[in-house]
Amino acid sequence: MINFYSFKNKSYLVSLSLIILTIIIIFFKGLNLGIDFKGGLNFEVKSNLTTNQLNEYFDFIDSDREVLIKREVGSDVFSIRIESGDNNPVFIEEIKNIIYQNPDIEILLSEYIEPTFSEELIKNSIYALASSLLVIAVYVWIRFDWQFAASGIFALLHDVFVSIGFMSLFNIEFNLTMIAALLLIAGYSINDTIVLFDRLRSLTSNEENKDNFETNVNNSIKLNLRRTILTSFTTILALLCLVFLAPVNLTEMPIVFIFGVLIGTFSSLFLVLGIVGDLNYEAVLKARDS
Amino acid sequence: MIIFKQWRLWVSLLLLIGSYILIKPNFESQTSNSKINFGLDIQGGFSYLLELNEEEYLNNLLVKTSQYIENTYSISSNIDNGEIVISKNQNLDALTNIVIQNLGLEINEKSDKENSYIFSKQNFNKSLSDMTLNAVEIVRSRVDFLGNKELSIQKVGLNKILLEIPGDLDNNVKEVISKTAKLTLHLEKNNIVGSKTFINEETGEQVRVQEIPNITGDFIQDASLQYNQNEPVVAFSFNKEGSDLFAKMTSENVGSRFAIVLDGSLITAPVIRESITGGSGQISGGFTNETANNLAIILKSGSLPTQIKIIQEKQIGPTLGQEGVEKGVIASIIALIAITLFMIIYYKISGVFTVITIISCLSLLFAMMSLLNTTLTLPGVIGIVLTIGMCVDANVLIFERIRENFKHNIEDPKNHGFNSAYVTILDSNLTTLFAAVFLFAFGFGPIRGFSISLIIGIISSLIVTYIILKLFINITSIKYLGLQR
Repeated sequence: MINFYSFKNKSYLVSLSLIILTIIIIFFKGLNLGIDFKGGLNFEVKSNLTTNQLNEYFDFIDSDREVLIKREVGSDVFSIRIESGDNNPVFIEEIKNIIYQNPDIEILLSEYIEPTFSEELIKNSIYALASSLLVIAVYVWIRFDWQFAASGIFALLHDVFVSIGFMSLFNIEFNLTMIAALLLIAGYSINDTIVLFDRLRSLTSNEENKDNFETNVNNSIKLNLRRTILTSFTTILALLCLVFLAPVNLTEMPIVFIFGVLIGTFSSLFLVLGIVGDLNYEAVLKARDS
Repeated sequence: MIIFKQWRLWVSLLLLIGSYILIKPNFESQTSNSKINFGLDIQGGFSYLLELNEEEYLNNLLVKTSQYIENTYSISSNIDNGEIVISKNQNLDALTNIVIQNLGLEINEKSDKENSYIFSKQNFNKSLSDMTLNAVEIVRSRVDFLGNKELSIQKVGLNKILLEIPGDLDNNVKEVISKTAKLTLHLEKNNIVGSKTFINEETGEQVRVQEIPNITGDFIQDASLQYNQNEPVVAFSFNKEGSDLFAKMTSENVGSRFAIVLDGSLITAPVIRESITGGSGQISGGFTNETANNLAIILKSGSLPTQIKIIQEKQIGPTLGQEGVEKGVIASIIALIAITLFMIIYYKISGVFTVITIISCLSLLFAMMSLLNTTLTLPGVIGIVLTIGMCVDANVLIFERIRENFKHNIEDPKNHGFNSAYVTILDSNLTTLFAAVFLFAFGFGPIRGFSISLIIGIISSLIVTYIILKLFINITSIKYLGLQR
């Protein structure tokens, strides 16, 4: 049988390197913010033209603002984007006219967001994220001991943060929908963690075997191993269907989530219970006895 | 028969029948209030997020309050940087604490010479929010007059309005919603003091008139597109009060001009030829049918309390939504089949129970969504997929616990296993549920769509595993559950 608990120092190392790697990637590559968070004008269009042909339409516009045209991989869908700077309505109208009046371009989606509003959206998303994380922490704290709450929240932040690094690495756009994906990862991560916590708690409260913390940790993981693998597997199975079948503007979300599931599985198997142990939970157990 | 002694059987039947009744209206053509609506990202359409100008509203409110204090208590004040400043060299006795409180003000700074007051945050926000509700009705009536029937319009935050209209883009909508539509009539005045020059931007016509309007558009009762010698014009009529004012103004000033000003720019400045007592008038001046109709709509809906700014504009073509739905449905069905096959192969009979549980979970979910008249968006669909995942997870947890208990010869393995697994499921699902509730409260747009289906989904999943899955486990002998090994 695998001794998961003995791996904990190596796991910390892996997790630490992932965190550092994420910081480096974000520092050098930055986040590919979508217009939700940046403000600006975005079109998703369907067209048989090539990127160059499309570019030519916008060439003659007299402005230093750049029109970014990107073809979605493996389709005839393009995104045409003007990131917000100085808001010149004439310029925006001009672009719209070019797109609306071209018979070779079919508009799938067009969106415009004021930069002032996108700032508000960023704030709003941070509130939403922070408040739901806080609520998770409080709940876990009430139901378990603080060591569990601390470890669970660490794992959750770790999974979300590393997933952000993954998005930065592959230049995946960061927008409001992605906030939902990150929350999904957070939900999945805490879900996995709590199942293990429950097990560990019930094992350590059992008179016969409560003394050996390491054995209890290993047993908690071992008894849940099949469930962890089965659930991850079925979730990834469902997500793979979404990757291949989601509409163009939503394909990236399941990819990020699959990564999140993998990293979440890693952290719950190798990280969380180790942290609980290192937070001196054994002492708490002993104190409870006497 | 042991099965009929199970209370779960009757509750299950009740759940299924209830779900059926609640889901049914979605497939009937007549409109019903308990139906799932589809978000714009699914059915296509366009949406505008409008923001009313908070600063402008604050200023208007300050001016109004200052005037009120002056008129009621004969106390003069001036407005400085968001404050009402009242000098102490006048009798301030009337300005008691209660009066100040009733005006929604609170003292900001006190000095020997003057007191300055600001609106208390709470009062101002309340007032701002009321103003927005009022503006929602104005915007609604404007868009209604254009003939859009299925629009959805709601207040967002304190000073924002979200307008969503399914279907094709109507260019007039943007035109009619973004105009403040402050119509004012001013008499000509040649004296420099208290006068202002308005210019017609298209024709260059200009006229010097008195700055404070003689009549405002608030008195307009009706307006419509009409034709004057085949030229489209906007005909309007005043209410009783407005008619009297208009009659007085015209009879006293025959021969001079007056300006019709809309949102600060001159439309036309006709000469008064005779006194007009009927209380109606016409605005002409280079309209097309469309622009005249739009103006008429704006005038009869009333003016907005402040300028409006479109801070988010979205248009989703019908193909994208359709493609999204088709692909989404196919993806969900394939995912369901894949999970189903896997669970049946792995858990045999119990796998079949899981499939029944998932289907009941989905029908309960859709039933609750119909009951609450929820709007389903694409992120919402993803929330549903997550729900299915959590439901499968709950099943796996329960089965694994039963199997474990069975292996260790624990007494009553089915009930023990189910109960201990259900505690874990409650813990993990409730955590996610609380997080989702907070997301719903603080989130915007896609985040809300996602969290609402997650909330409803978790509740359904918890209910069906407790009732329906447990029923199947209860009535099946452990030998046949397919969990030994």
